Amino acid sequence: MPVLKGKELRVVGFLCNWCSYGGADTAGVGRFSQPTDLRIIRVPCSGRVDPMFVVKALLGGADGVLVSGCHPRDCHYSQGNFYARRRLETLKTFLPALGIDPDRFQYTWVSASEGQRWKNVVSTFVEKVHQLGHAPRIEEAAPYLPLAEKGDTLPAPLRPLAWPAAGTLTASLEQLREKIRAALPELDCVIGWQQGFDALHATPLFMRKPEDVDKLTWGPLNVHNLATYLPQFKNRKVGVVVKGCDSRSVIELLQEKLVEPDNVRVFGMACEGVVDVERVRKAMEPAEGAACTDVAPAAVAVEGDGLAFEGDTPVRLKLADVVAEKCRTCDTPVPLLGDVVEGNASAPAGPGPDAPPSLEALDAMTPEQRRGFWRAQMDRCLRCYACRNACPMCVCRDHCIAESRDPHWTTQEGNVREKLQFQVIHALHLAGRCTECGECQRACPVNIPVLALKQWMNRSVLTLFDYRAGVDVNAVPPLLAFAVEEKNIKEHGL
Amino acid sequence: MRIGVFVCHCGSNIGGTVDVPGVAQVARAYPDVVFSSDTMYACSEPGQAAIVDAIREHALDGVVVASCTPRMHEPTFRRTVERAGLNRYMFEMANIREHVSWIGKDREANSNKAAELVRMAVEKLRLNAPLYPKSFDVTKRVLVIGGGVAGIQAALDCADGGIEVVLVERESTIGGKMAKLDKTFPTVDCSSCILGPKMVDVSQHPNIRLYAHAEVEKIGGYVGNFKVDVRRKATYVDWELCTGCGLCMEKCPSKKSPDAFNEHVGVTTSINIPFPQAIPKKAIIDPTSCRQFVKGKCGVCAKVCPTGAIRYDMEDQVVTEEVGAIITATGYDLFDYTRYAEYGGGRYPDVITSLQYERLLSASGPTGGHVKRPSDGKEPKTVVFIQCVGSRDRSVDRPYCSGFCCMYTAKQAVLTKDHIPDSRSYVFYMDIRANGKMYEEFTRRAMEEYGVQYVRGRVSMIVPQGDKYLVRGVDTLLGEQVEVPADLVVLAVGAESSHGAPQLAEKLRISYDNYGFFMESHCKLRPVETNTAGVYLAGACQGPKDIPSSVGQGSAAAAKVLGLFSRGRLESDPQISQVDVRRCVGCGKCITTCPYGAIEWMELRGEMKARVIETVCQGCGICTVTCPQGAIQLQHFTDNQILAEVNALCLS
Repeated sequence: MPVLKGKELRVVGFLCNWCSYGGADTAGVGRFSQPTDLRIIRVPCSGRVDPMFVVKALLGGADGVLVSGCHPRDCHYSQGNFYARRRLETLKTFLPALGIDPDRFQYTWVSASEGQRWKNVVSTFVEKVHQLGHAPRIEEAAPYLPLAEKGDTLPAPLRPLAWPAAGTLTASLEQLREKIRAALPELDCVIGWQQGFDALHATPLFMRKPEDVDKLTWGPLNVHNLATYLPQFKNRKVGVVVKGCDSRSVIELLQEKLVEPDNVRVFGMACEGVVDVERVRKAMEPAEGAACTDVAPAAVAVEGDGLAFEGDTPVRLKLADVVAEKCRTCDTPVPLLGDVVEGNASAPAGPGPDAPPSLEALDAMTPEQRRGFWRAQMDRCLRCYACRNACPMCVCRDHCIAESRDPHWTTQEGNVREKLQFQVIHALHLAGRCTECGECQRACPVNIPVLALKQWMNRSVLTLFDYRAGVDVNAVPPLLAFAVEEKNIKEHGL
Repeated sequence: MRIGVFVCHCGSNIGGTVDVPGVAQVARAYPDVVFSSDTMYACSEPGQAAIVDAIREHALDGVVVASCTPRMHEPTFRRTVERAGLNRYMFEMANIREHVSWIGKDREANSNKAAELVRMAVEKLRLNAPLYPKSFDVTKRVLVIGGGVAGIQAALDCADGGIEVVLVERESTIGGKMAKLDKTFPTVDCSSCILGPKMVDVSQHPNIRLYAHAEVEKIGGYVGNFKVDVRRKATYVDWELCTGCGLCMEKCPSKKSPDAFNEHVGVTTSINIPFPQAIPKKAIIDPTSCRQFVKGKCGVCAKVCPTGAIRYDMEDQVVTEEVGAIITATGYDLFDYTRYAEYGGGRYPDVITSLQYERLLSASGPTGGHVKRPSDGKEPKTVVFIQCVGSRDRSVDRPYCSGFCCMYTAKQAVLTKDHIPDSRSYVFYMDIRANGKMYEEFTRRAMEEYGVQYVRGRVSMIVPQGDKYLVRGVDTLLGEQVEVPADLVVLAVGAESSHGAPQLAEKLRISYDNYGFFMESHCKLRPVETNTAGVYLAGACQGPKDIPSSVGQGSAAAAKVLGLFSRGRLESDPQISQVDVRRCVGCGKCITTCPYGAIEWMELRGEMKARVIETVCQGCGICTVTCPQGAIQLQHFTDNQILAEVNALCLS
């Protein structure tokens, strides 16, 4: 049903039954005249308002969304609005990543007796939405693709990247193998890497027998985050080899009790960065249109700050040029838990001032460009869910709401809106949980920079709650907790 | 599905600014709608009968009524559809009065909005499912927290109604503030003469178990089945043996213990029975001043006690009680007047609170009922009363009226004349609020018969002058400054919430206002209920109240409890969360966020899953948002139901 042309805009309200819905009733009883744009959906508590309802409405054509609950401390269910405040504030800081004006979404508190206040809230908000006008639809935005093609020059990493000399590397690997061999009798299996179908690709290795351990490799091609496999081994004793970044995923899984500390043995190696295989391939591509098998090298060797590819045409690439994006801002090269082989990794540098490149690029865009950007990216999305399947924190597995009918959050339509809705679900579900391992982006067959959404979310979570995921096993993630007085959340003045 | 839509005119309330027949006509085209009509008053008897008839005639299995707010008539219409054989949850309401017709005059916009709201209700109803309440057993015992007059009344009424009562009192005796009063307004009858018998009834009633000097430590469970831990604080006297003879008090050598019962007018012995009519009349040792505790030697009371009841090594004891309902009657505290520097901030001995004055007037008080100045024991001839100390004053964050101070001040002024016939009393007041039966007449009597001088205005300063106090204020009726040299100044301190009230509210999971007073469920229609089922309020814990109102609320709360218990079993609201075990991955996030502890682990074929404890769940839906798989869904407000409403607005 269309809105009344020229008169109204589409404004959706979610009101808690006990306070704000009552407040809206009180305003009605008092005959406080209000704009007619607002359509109210009654929910029991603001804690029932899933931020995804708001996204659903905004992506579906709403021009504004208003959520209102009981005043803090006054919640009918004692804590619902405290949770709501964290969830909704997180959403509000996230909306600009999609190119949605955060002013189109507002949340506030109105009690059942505050009829006058409700009138003011509605009037102020609807007036604001009218100032903003009709919300531009993302699927109608002009496509915008500014990101440099992979393989082009990227800013220098924060930490000098140089792999240790081959000798020390072999020594470290042998040390690691020894540890695994010693522990193997007590474990069902240990997950590591081995050489894959060609020299450029590593592939996961499941070590069950001592001789399997000989196949274990270590180097910049070990791109996979093997923690992803751990929940499947629940209730079994399993070992896993991790890089610094991977270790944070293990911490996160332990925190969420999706793996038991007694059942998992972590073997760590200090990491000097991994490559972006796609970038390597690009760099080695001899000419336009050549098939990728053409560039498969016979062997890859690490040589200080570079990689030597042996084959028909030997190539030497600087590690810094082909390193994965996440390694550029890495501050945890040494695993944070487990039995760690330090090797001679350089000390971790503190988090640098620079944002990760994709996030920086997103930051630099105007809202309109962001809408065009995601429109263009989602046009390419195959909806294959590789991003989800590779994510170590996507623990729902077969029960992902992206594919279910009950609840039915997304349809199977292959349009930009539904695809973006899924990406938002992924990002929102990862709020306060994502360790930025980058597996989602690495796994994407069409190279959509989906990690940028999570990086944006992580920055929000850090700013709002001073929290980083995957650091402390005993921490309570911010969206599963609340503070009566929130330090970094300001009332929005409605 | 076969849905019927009924759009109500509500006389001209809706029909005046909404094209009601038009909306009904548009609704006919909505999915699954097979019947639609407009009705003058849907809630009236013929209106409801028409709904029942239509359900039968058109074989409807769902009904939408577009009328007023569901907060008003949802229960009415649910009963209506139930009468016609439908499940009460196969009903939705569109609020086209409070949210449409009353807030705008644009007929076109209103009609369009009303039609959309009906559309949303239809779309949600299409996904509704019948829900059935479960019934569960009730523990027919009640916990009353606080043994002031409200708590006493509630306890006695419940006990007389035949249910067991557990009465928990923080102090060593029940009676509360009323026990400290000399007389009560407007009848000027003796407070302890009317309260005393009730206190005795409490101690003798076979259905009442009294825990004095005890506090509620922990509350778990839900309506019908609460589990309460009560901490019985150490009294150092075995109350089973103590006969209340008072010999220990006579012999106690340590006589400098603060006398809380007498509002710190004077001191008392370390082993003490607060007042002669105390219930239970048992001694208690104050370990902060007792020589045995402070110096490690004395033991006089242990030697003289004829029953050997003294236990210096007594420790706190926690007992667990199971009850089905809870009445909180924790009363109030007095405003701390020392925050007012202009009244001396507590430095002047003869500037006292009204309750201290009450103790001076009382025959059982520290002066035996002779009014004497605390400083020199002289009888005051000029007494000045200052009203609204800590009431109606934003500067001390007490903007509310404490309600009873005007009246007790009039009473105290009258009593002053009775005690000291040649005295003069002045009352500085802002307004006289005497809105009870015989109240206005009483204040008139104080002025006219007893010659109490009422001065309308505030006091700016109290200045000691010799052995008097110069009270400097303004008479706003005369428009001039006045000064009264007073022998005694009595501050009519206001009420504030009892200390520890917010902490207790958190344990009870009930709301409290900015000032710590507990929130009732509805300010007019549910004044003694809270938003937590099975928890009721009585007396001044909800807001300042005089004795009749407190007693009235005590009885009202008791009536609620008796009503609750009159049913053998309780029905739980089926609008609660439910876990789809096939979707649940056992991450336990819902367990972390549930404010009620209503979700527990269960093992299912070797895997841990979440399970909702149906009687504990209150239906907030926090868990549904927490669960990433959407495996736990709040019934009647499922993701799909809310999404249907969003989609009705946004996608179509």
